[in-house]
Amino acid sequence: MRKLLMRACVPIVAGAVALAGFSAIASASTTPHAAKPVFEIAYEGPLSGGVAQLGLNMVYGERLAINLANEGKTFGKLPFALVPGTYNDQGSETVSPTTAAEIVAKKAIVAVVGPAFSGATKAAEPTFHAAHLATVSPSATNVLLATHGWNNFFRVVAADNIQGSADASYITSKLKLKKIYVVSDQTTYGAGLASAFTAAAKHDGATIYGGGPDPIPSTPACGNGGTGDPSQYPGKAATIKSANPPIIFYGGYYCDLGLLISALHTVGYKGRIMSGDGSDDPHLISGTKPTKAANGTFLSCACSVLGKTPADRTFAAGFTAIAKFPPGTYSAEAYDSTNIIIEAMLKIWKAYGAKGETRARIVTFLHAVSWVGLTKTIKFQANGNIAGTTVYMNQVRSGKIYQIGLA
Amino acid sequence: MHCPAFIAHNNLWISLFIGGLANGFLYAMIAIGYTLVYGVLRLINFAHSEVFMLGAFGAYFALHYALGSSSPVGYLALLWVLVGIAAGGIAGAVTGFSLERVAYRPLRRRNAPKLTYLISAIGASLFLQNLAAKEFGRGNPFVPAPALTSGVAVTVCGAAIDQFWILTFIVAIVMLVFADVVVHRTKLGRGIRAVAQDVDTASLMGVNIDRTIVTTFVLGGLLGGAAGCLWGMQYGVNFGMGFIPGLKAFAAAVLGGIGNLRGAMLGGLLLGVVESLSLKFISSQYEDVVAYSVLIVVLLVRPTGILGERLGRVA
Repeated sequence: MRKLLMRACVPIVAGAVALAGFSAIASASTTPHAAKPVFEIAYEGPLSGGVAQLGLNMVYGERLAINLANEGKTFGKLPFALVPGTYNDQGSETVSPTTAAEIVAKKAIVAVVGPAFSGATKAAEPTFHAAHLATVSPSATNVLLATHGWNNFFRVVAADNIQGSADASYITSKLKLKKIYVVSDQTTYGAGLASAFTAAAKHDGATIYGGGPDPIPSTPACGNGGTGDPSQYPGKAATIKSANPPIIFYGGYYCDLGLLISALHTVGYKGRIMSGDGSDDPHLISGTKPTKAANGTFLSCACSVLGKTPADRTFAAGFTAIAKFPPGTYSAEAYDSTNIIIEAMLKIWKAYGAKGETRARIVTFLHAVSWVGLTKTIKFQANGNIAGTTVYMNQVRSGKIYQIGLA
Repeated sequence: MHCPAFIAHNNLWISLFIGGLANGFLYAMIAIGYTLVYGVLRLINFAHSEVFMLGAFGAYFALHYALGSSSPVGYLALLWVLVGIAAGGIAGAVTGFSLERVAYRPLRRRNAPKLTYLISAIGASLFLQNLAAKEFGRGNPFVPAPALTSGVAVTVCGAAIDQFWILTFIVAIVMLVFADVVVHRTKLGRGIRAVAQDVDTASLMGVNIDRTIVTTFVLGGLLGGAAGCLWGMQYGVNFGMGFIPGLKAFAAAVLGGIGNLRGAMLGGLLLGVVESLSLKFISSQYEDVVAYSVLIVVLLVRPTGILGERLGRVA
């Protein structure tokens, strides 16, 4: 038995030694500017499995921000060098504490972009908080995350309740519609938005069909972690058509919304459709059959429309060059999250020099800095939520998303 | 057209029924692959959902590159749809063929236990899914089908019927009849049935076992791949698209009586319709609950499926 154990152990130990040697070489050779101190900004999110696309959307946003900063294109010449790090938490709350421990243990890491998902964030944040490591999430929108007293927690997206109540008042006051069919895609984000919207709409005096959100689970092909069956849509659309609501509010992402709008078009639904920032993406239009069926859809977002300014176009081109696919949901948010961290680091460098760049000080400075990002001006409230809760209303017109005013 | 008042007032039922029937035909086309392979090998080919997925990709790439940004209309559009279905079928058949060669034949040569085949199938399934995700991207593009995507084709008593559903009916019926004729009326089919009944005797009677088994995979792949094309035209193409339809088609094959060709067709249609109509019961959240309760009840009453498990006679 002992012999057997030994036999098993030797290759494992040898492998581990080889690996350790390899990683030492790797980290030495990837240091780009030997003279400057090197800091790592980690990304934590799902990088494998069915929801990997969301994580990949963000990883390349983070990487592009770091590349451009290193090249001196965003902030001018940097006094330090930055390296991106990617840590896969599979979007899961059972994996993320381990991932967080791995990140915290790596001394070179000064701040984290992520975690991506609300559930994973909730599970990992105690570890990050204990290590005074700042986390700036591009995508975790659950309201409760900002209520735990984690001073290292920041997010560049508005919490679900902000958008939900703005959307509800737009429907009841501006569109003057009082009967609403609410759909939830059953993801953490979609369900949170749909229930925040429902509460606000009821408060505004609207009637919700069925008393609450109708769950139409997100489908695996759309990569948001749902387990719904795409063949559900024709039937669901027929059911909605028979209720014939004047407006549908959809809490969820563009990919499934495209499938739902296609099915609604087929059954001849003529009412209006509204959704939130998860659907505020040009892919909504290309993912709707026929694309003209997407026209008229209202899309709210606490962000400005991408693709209008030269900076947006530079971002899209740079992103596509390294990712080999165009920016998607949360790509620009990840880019902004990374840049606000770099901005805080630069402010620290100015005040304290090289020795000043500690994890705890980055947390302190993130509470004070602001940065004009792609999606909005990034500035944080004391609880880590993004300041300024302006929600814009957009609408699809002739196959393009246009901003039509404040929500 | 004269509509009885009862139907005119319940046109949702008609929409749900016909939509369910369209899904059912797709399940049936996939289920044939499970049931045929089960007939000859006595094993569930869990990689069949990836045959469906790669068939859809085959159709997507064929039409995407052939059509570019052009969108033909009329008869030309129909022709291109048929090209897509053929491409899907061929891609599915090639996948089925390769699976048999790589994941099954080596095991068969070594007389591996049945459990090994199962693991090999699941491994092949995960491998193909992840390979497709890496190579083909993680988006959810539609298989282009220009003229057939503009929505409602006909209205029956106020119920909208998608022209895609009509396309599905026609293609599925043609292919299911084709499969039935091949298995029941041709020499090849006699070989398949002989192998299903008794491998050793069939071999003694001069049936080429290897060729029969690989043909079974190819036939199943042809139908599964074509179903993938139809599915991709309506719901999009994605590396993970095979899982749920594959599971449902497997359930349909068991419901109809595994190993029984017509049973798989009946099981698919029944599952699709029950699933769709159950939307109207209680609440839409109960769709799967109702559909699978029916499945469990049917299997409790008839453990061998509706038409009965016809081991040894794939018919």
